[in-house]
Amino acid sequence: MAVTDMSEDPTKARTSPRIAPFLSQGAKWGAKAGLPLISFAFILGIWALVGASGMVKEAIFPAPWSVWSATVEMWQNGTLQTDLAKSLGRAGVGFGIGATLGVALGLLTGRVALVRTLLNPFLNLLRPIPAIALVPVAIVWFGIGEGSKYFVVSYTVFLTVWFNTHHGMEYVPETYLRASRSLGASRMREFLTVVLPAAAPHIFAGIRLGVALAFLSLVAAELSGASSGIGFRLQEARQYVRTDRMFSLLIILGVLGAVADLIVHAIGKKLVHWEQG
Amino acid sequence: MAEDLMTDTHKTDTQKGRVEIDDVVIRFKGRQGPVTALARTSHVLEPGTFTALIGPSGCGKSTLMNAIAGFVKPSEGSLRLDGKPIAGPSPEVGVIFQQYALFPWFTALNNVRYGLKQFGLPQGEEIDRARAALAEVGLEAHADKYPQQLSGGMKQRVAIARTFAVGPKVLLMDEPFGALDAQTRLVMHELLLNIWRKHRATVLFVTHDVDEALLLSDHVQVMSQAPGRLIRHYHLTQQRPRAFSRSGSDLLEIRDEILDLLHPKTDLADSL
Repeated sequence: MAVTDMSEDPTKARTSPRIAPFLSQGAKWGAKAGLPLISFAFILGIWALVGASGMVKEAIFPAPWSVWSATVEMWQNGTLQTDLAKSLGRAGVGFGIGATLGVALGLLTGRVALVRTLLNPFLNLLRPIPAIALVPVAIVWFGIGEGSKYFVVSYTVFLTVWFNTHHGMEYVPETYLRASRSLGASRMREFLTVVLPAAAPHIFAGIRLGVALAFLSLVAAELSGASSGIGFRLQEARQYVRTDRMFSLLIILGVLGAVADLIVHAIGKKLVHWEQG
Repeated sequence: MAEDLMTDTHKTDTQKGRVEIDDVVIRFKGRQGPVTALARTSHVLEPGTFTALIGPSGCGKSTLMNAIAGFVKPSEGSLRLDGKPIAGPSPEVGVIFQQYALFPWFTALNNVRYGLKQFGLPQGEEIDRARAALAEVGLEAHADKYPQQLSGGMKQRVAIARTFAVGPKVLLMDEPFGALDAQTRLVMHELLLNIWRKHRATVLFVTHDVDEALLLSDHVQVMSQAPGRLIRHYHLTQQRPRAFSRSGSDLLEIRDEILDLLHPKTDLADSL
């Protein structure tokens, strides 16, 4: 039973007490960092085999080396750099606005009954509306420039971060508040040093989701109505049937999202240090 | 033994912490109308006494405690501390929770400092007082650890230090050692009695462990099944530290009586 478990789930095997003593700390860390690389190498290998076999047309499913040279080409003519800068700028600004408003309003709706009554039902109604459905409205309101991108991204991020912050505030354990009050703490100190930290894990979960959604909604906004950025370049590549460029841009998007997620996760782990066992 | 009691009473008379429970009834909204959690109860906790409140689970002993702590408002009657009505939680009434209620984002030291903040002490003095409080429970070496790095017994010791550091007149403990193993529990009993002897707060100790009640308290109040009311009172004068082997047969007799009250024989016979 345990043996099949381990062979099916490599993460379990890694932390298994039966195996752990045989691995030094360094080797364990190496194995942990290296595991995703094995997966990437495996997929890349299959991809290369398919590309080399000539089974599929290059124009439909380009080989890894074609994608690589498309990347180099975009880098050399400078579009990749400007697109990256534009897209990251939009995602960053939109995320910043949305996350700030989301945390602020979440703290308010979590804490003030009147604000909660006035806003929660409405905000919950907005949540199922996908970002891409907002793009036409955004373009009418803010034009095809940066404004509409900021709007779509910050709106999406805002709702998610608000929702998680609000719920974090709701689940602050009652005993913490009771303990705080019978220790004679003022409401202000209770809010800053008990309620906020108690809600912090939820707030960070919301922020992490917000980062992922910032990329999703950004590309949605750029796909329909932009003159630069990764999303625009994807759209342009479609017109020229440049699947090699598309693949390159998609991989870049994936890597950007993963790196952003790692960074936010690392920051969250530092700030909410008490949550890990 | 009698002499010991005399000096005890004399000492406590000079201090405050008198809790008056006056015709208190507590009801909660249930699915089918109001549910009485605590039937009409009147009682006085004299300053500096140690009272154990014992009863079957769900009998309302925690409800009574929560009312004295100011967490729950009585539906009828009134609660007073030294003559003043209890209007809500206050640092005069300290609470020790079964689940410790330490803040996991603070170190042990900063958990203790949290309660001291209200006094607006200079930082150095605040830290010194917090360290002294931790030293009192034998945890000075663990001041900079986070609660999750401490064992259950140590966590509860931090909580005790945190509460006593504020200098409460009344200390409410809701099954404080219920989550600890028997060995740790014995250590905690001794520690609690030592600190209580020094600070002399009025203690109300909620438990469902008869032995614990008999080993620790001056007064044992037994509560009935829900809706709870106080059905029997024992005044214990045996010298502490107590042990069933040392403290004479009366403790054992009381123990049997209380067990009978909590689990009437007829019930037992029915279930067999």
